[in-house]
Amino acid sequence: MSHINPNFAKELERYGAKDFNLCFNCGNCTAICSLSTKDNSFPREMIRFSALGLEDDIKSSLKPWMCYYCGECSTDCPRQAHPGELMMSLRRWLTAKYDWTGLSGLLYKHLSAYIIGFLLVIVGLIVFAAKLDWNQEKIMHFGHLFEMFAIAGVFAIILLPNIFRMWLYTIVRPKVKATVKVYYKAFSELLVHMFTQKRFLECEKLQETQIKWFEHFILVIGYLSLLFTTVFLDWFGSENMFIIALGYVESAIIFVVTFLFILKRAKKTEALHKFSQPSDWFFVIWLFLMGITAFLVRLFIDIGILQNNFWLYLVHISVLVQWAIIIVPFGKWTHFLYRSFAMCFARILELNDMKK
Amino acid sequence: MKQRIGVYICHCGGNISDYVDVEQLGKLMAKENGVLISKNVMFACSDSTQKEIEQDIEENKLDSIVVASCSPKLHTHTFRNVAIRAGLNPYNYTQVNIREQCSWAHSDKPMDATIKAYGLIRAGINRVSYSEVLESLEISAQKVVAIIGAGVAGMRAAVDLARMDNQVYLIEKGNTVGGHVAQAGRLFPTNENGKEVVDRLYQRIRQQSNITLFTNATLEKVSGSIGNFWIEVKLGSEELKLNVGSVLVTTGFDFYDPKEGEFGYRLSDRVITLPDFNKMVENSKGKLIHNGKSVKSVAYIYCVGNRQSKGENRYCSRQCCTAAIHSSLHVHEKFEDMTAYHLFRDIRTYGKQELLYQQSSKNGDIYIRFEEKEPPVVELKNGNPTIKVKDYLTTKRELTLDTDLVVLVTGMVPRTDSNSVSSKLKIPIGIDRFFNEIHPKLKPVETVIKGVYIGGACQGPKNINESVQSALSGAAKINATLKSGNINLEPIIARVNADSCLWCGKCAEVCEYDAISSIANGGKLIAEVNKATCKGCGICAPTCPSNAIELAQFTDNEIESMIDGLMSKAEISPRVESQQNNQKAGVQSLAGYPKIWRTIANALEGNTLTIPQIAEKIDQEASLVTWHLMTMNRYGFVESAGLNDNEDYFMYKLKK
Repeated sequence: MSHINPNFAKELERYGAKDFNLCFNCGNCTAICSLSTKDNSFPREMIRFSALGLEDDIKSSLKPWMCYYCGECSTDCPRQAHPGELMMSLRRWLTAKYDWTGLSGLLYKHLSAYIIGFLLVIVGLIVFAAKLDWNQEKIMHFGHLFEMFAIAGVFAIILLPNIFRMWLYTIVRPKVKATVKVYYKAFSELLVHMFTQKRFLECEKLQETQIKWFEHFILVIGYLSLLFTTVFLDWFGSENMFIIALGYVESAIIFVVTFLFILKRAKKTEALHKFSQPSDWFFVIWLFLMGITAFLVRLFIDIGILQNNFWLYLVHISVLVQWAIIIVPFGKWTHFLYRSFAMCFARILELNDMKK
Repeated sequence: MKQRIGVYICHCGGNISDYVDVEQLGKLMAKENGVLISKNVMFACSDSTQKEIEQDIEENKLDSIVVASCSPKLHTHTFRNVAIRAGLNPYNYTQVNIREQCSWAHSDKPMDATIKAYGLIRAGINRVSYSEVLESLEISAQKVVAIIGAGVAGMRAAVDLARMDNQVYLIEKGNTVGGHVAQAGRLFPTNENGKEVVDRLYQRIRQQSNITLFTNATLEKVSGSIGNFWIEVKLGSEELKLNVGSVLVTTGFDFYDPKEGEFGYRLSDRVITLPDFNKMVENSKGKLIHNGKSVKSVAYIYCVGNRQSKGENRYCSRQCCTAAIHSSLHVHEKFEDMTAYHLFRDIRTYGKQELLYQQSSKNGDIYIRFEEKEPPVVELKNGNPTIKVKDYLTTKRELTLDTDLVVLVTGMVPRTDSNSVSSKLKIPIGIDRFFNEIHPKLKPVETVIKGVYIGGACQGPKNINESVQSALSGAAKINATLKSGNINLEPIIARVNADSCLWCGKCAEVCEYDAISSIANGGKLIAEVNKATCKGCGICAPTCPSNAIELAQFTDNEIESMIDGLMSKAEISPRVESQQNNQKAGVQSLAGYPKIWRTIANALEGNTLTIPQIAEKIDQEASLVTWHLMTMNRYGFVESAGLNDNEDYFMYKLKK
């Protein structure tokens, strides 16, 4: 027995859902979705849960993460109920629900919160730089240390507890009893999907999908390896030609691909780019800024424009800090983790069902 | 007895001639008594054949014709007109049905079909030789119309009839006009108020000096027939007798009245019907208040009292989905922060009304689909409703919802007084208990009683638009009938032989239409038939003990001679096999057909096989084989040889 919550739709609209109540349950979206299966069918069911406000059912569901938003469902919806965008909004809402701090929800719902956060970071950095007497070397040293600690800190304090909560909602509370062996088997799924997003390739439209998947894939790989190159190989301080070249390539990949993403979002030609939320914009723009400032900082070092490089580095480090303590833990970045874990959890459920 | 009869036997392009030996019959009929011309024709109804018959009548001075083709339902008027054009009385023509009643029915036995056709045509020839010249009846008609019921349908029809120079009596049982619409509140799609619409119509009625409106008037008695009805109306203590040419019945409907306890109705003031809810919405300003309590959420339960698979109201009232959604939109617009739940079975917002449904979804109304076998349950805790419902759109999930108000979307039912109106006017009542038209598509506002028309929701559920449309079409039919002041009627009616009639009254007793009364004639009472009222059903003729009453075109002579014709022995020789029939001879003649037919036929040569076996043998898709085999079966090349041993497939063999 579930109770209908008529206010849920309004709440979901604040996460970007558009007109999903127009749905008259024809099921076209589900029929056309190439990722939807007989045992795991969506998006219609999710639209229904959303319209009725069955929050518990949505919270315990992994289906929003099964969707890669190719946009076919929105294109073919006879009522323009934008099922794809609803799935996207549910992912935002779930992200907010998983987040124990509540900051994700705050940021999704209030653009002002984002802006205040960004401004606070800039002010903090300026104050900090002034304290270090605007000493470039010290600041760059700090930047390097910050990256390491930010990764560890954000992961330990925010992301790990949130994944634990996701596990709680989707596996523990629905009383799924899985053995260690099942967890072990499903774990490989996590790594595969985290680094390849191979499910994305199963979306329809073949060539278009392959291109999209490839862009996304090299962006993920570029991002992760740039992170590794700057943090562990100290790209900005390195004299090794190979490392320097590697960093250039990686940062170039990031800003070129994200630039393409920004263009697509601005043009709105595809269904999935029709309704960009602030969180979507910040995600691609900050990635772009990070890529391009990192590239330029290293370029200025290499061609010896050291005077102006200080300010450029300051810009780079503020983008980096905003990224690391706002967008990564509370923004769109988390889909990288949740999606991969969702695949892993889904595999657990599947293996458990197979045993029965 | 006619001596110059023309007989035309139709091939119907093979429909008849494939089975009945039309050519032989044509030759045989030429030998019949009185037959001057006997022909077989490809299509009797074609323009060229019609002209040929006309020419034959004129050139050979035929005194009667027989057309043996299809059902008289189809072409009686076609050939009557042929006769009229050629100067022959249209009643000197007889139609013989050798298609529906012969070739189609006996396609398996062509020889017997030919023998039957022989009898039927001979019966027709015998009958036509006794046929009389009849003239259609012309009666004078009053250009006066009585409209029963002054709802929107009746009022609107009154205005049109009056503008076409008919005197109109508008008879209303209640003390005000406008019926349900006057109380309906805001209406789709113009958002006018129902009262405004009725007021406007009322003004137009008052402007027409030839409309007389009677309110608080009840229909007492109706007599007479088309052109001259007598309508007795009671106005308080006064009684009026109105002489009218035609009657339009627009008595409307009642809303279904839910039983006590039906979805909690009458158990709590929080459960009300949609008409009551609309009045409440109309009267509330700023906030929706019901019995002093503010209402923030409304749950509409659809199909109440309608679409009952086991009850008496099996039909759908077709306007209630739209009405409920329209109310919900109105509420959404008029009051802030309202929640609407629609518990429906199917949404039937047809046509432009679909946009309302779309808008309501856009407003965030929640739609929950239930089925009749698992209806929602309204539980009342301290009078506050909670609804439990199984949502068929969410895997039959059991859901609960709290609501301030439950609105029962009630359908339409026939008026409680419709039986008395029906018995006075003799309008038949359908199984749905609404008034019945003659034909839903071809005669949608006519009743079996000539001159009595039905319009609006007394005929069945309709919205306002549809009600007014049907009433106006009734008005147009009435005006067309009364316009000339005369009415032409079929002369095929009963007639009395004054000499042998002794007025026992038996004929009047059995007459369904009260068309027979007694009249003094030569010092005795005899039966008299009201020509306008008689429908020509013929039930009076066999009841007369002195055989004094008969039906034109169905006289004893005609009927007896037909029996003689049917009984006569036919001497039919077996048909010479025509080329057409050779087609059905066997595999050898498959030359002109698809290649795969020959392949299938070869596979079946000396075998009985199932479809999968054939498919395997000839290495083709089973679906392709099925398709071709079924066509071959239809053409008579193969036939079924019963089930195989596993009883999972039919076997097929070549037809010898």
